[in-house]
Amino acid sequence: MFRPFEWQDLVPLAEGAWLTIQLCAVSGVLGVIFGLILGIARTSPSRIARWISTIYISCVRGIPVLVIIFFVFFGIPLLFPGLEPDKFSSAVIALTCFAAAYVAEIVRGSIEAVEKGQSEAADALGLDYWRKLRYVILPQAVKIMVPPGIGFLIGLVKDSSLVTVTGLLELTHAGNVVTNLTGDPIKTFLVVAAMYFAICYSISLLGRLYEKRTGIHVDPLKLPEPAGL
Amino acid sequence: MIVVENLNKKFGQNHVLKGVDCHIREREVVCVIGPSGSGKSTFLRCMNGLESITSGSIVINKHRLDDAKTNINLVRQEAGMVFQHFNLFPHLKVIDNVMLAPLKVGKVSKEEARAKAEMLLAKVGLAAKMDTFPGSLSGGQMQRVAIARALAMDPKIMLFDEPTSALDPEIVGEVLTVMKDLANEGMTMVVVTHEMGFAREVADRVIFMDQGLIVEEGTPEQIFSTPQHARTQGFLSKVL
Repeated sequence: MFRPFEWQDLVPLAEGAWLTIQLCAVSGVLGVIFGLILGIARTSPSRIARWISTIYISCVRGIPVLVIIFFVFFGIPLLFPGLEPDKFSSAVIALTCFAAAYVAEIVRGSIEAVEKGQSEAADALGLDYWRKLRYVILPQAVKIMVPPGIGFLIGLVKDSSLVTVTGLLELTHAGNVVTNLTGDPIKTFLVVAAMYFAICYSISLLGRLYEKRTGIHVDPLKLPEPAGL
Repeated sequence: MIVVENLNKKFGQNHVLKGVDCHIREREVVCVIGPSGSGKSTFLRCMNGLESITSGSIVINKHRLDDAKTNINLVRQEAGMVFQHFNLFPHLKVIDNVMLAPLKVGKVSKEEARAKAEMLLAKVGLAAKMDTFPGSLSGGQMQRVAIARALAMDPKIMLFDEPTSALDPEIVGEVLTVMKDLANEGMTMVVVTHEMGFAREVADRVIFMDQGLIVEEGTPEQIFSTPQHARTQGFLSKVL
């Protein structure tokens, strides 16, 4: 009943890889947007904003991704009758919820890592909170958040394999399907692994490119050091 | 121009300023000296709201800092500040450091802000460094850019928080020269400093602080040549 692994089996795997890329791109972008908002809220002068974001982040970080995926996939249709997101949308919602919390912590850490004197200098010039954030703090924080952010995105690609449980035909699920046809898990999952690797490695290359391009101007080690030391 | 009355500042249990009274007139140059931990930097930082006031009052140019309704950002536009560690924005070119506040707060046109910034950088002798990033400047150059940046909002008062303490001794002079020019132009200045030579030469009045209080104040001549208080004498005998 099995047939050997053939070149044509690469097609469903490539399709799965393409779906994984779409899934991670959409939830990665949304996760970064919501993560930025949450991370800024986490460091905001408003107590309510800090409170809400802290609760969200601690909750999500304390729950396994798989549980979030199950919760969204099975929970949303029950909580909101009539609303039945397709598999791709539920996967995006679950991964976005998860990513936002982790990105928020990276954002918070980066904002706090910007030297305190920068904030004081902006204050002393009469910049209000939002202008200070926009023109002084965030441009510096973004450079700090890129390396851990890239690391997290790579993790997100790998964690996205968990949505296979919902039956979405992403890369891992496609690997399962092909294995069931060919009975050759070794070749199949070697290809699957190579595809994951290619996606992740491309992300880290992009990250390195970005760091090289921006690193010219700001080297955190060469920030104004008190002279005379 | 600046009226400080019974200013108290506590950091938790630590009582840093214990009832400071001080009046500073327009065009006056006041140097604040004293040992580390005497509260002189905190005193200065209270004047533009970088530190909140525990009790007492500060009035800067008719703005009451202790009144919650006062828009602190308006006060800060009138009182420029220069820091010990410069705090230039490393992601912005020198000229953009100087232009930022006028452009984003002052609502002037880009051309106007740029012309102003070029003029100020020329004034501090750094017109040639306009398009470089702060990271490539020496400490003295950075501090001069910081002075130009603070001047860009046309402040009526300039606050200096140990502006030369982080500099190599041989480049202290270039910063002091810029400050001297500023004083000669009639800027109201409050300078926390360890540069006794500068205080003696430029200040209209010298304030000696110790343990959160103004111990003694007077003309440089009075403070440096005939200090009345034992603590002033003790401090000066160590630093002069």
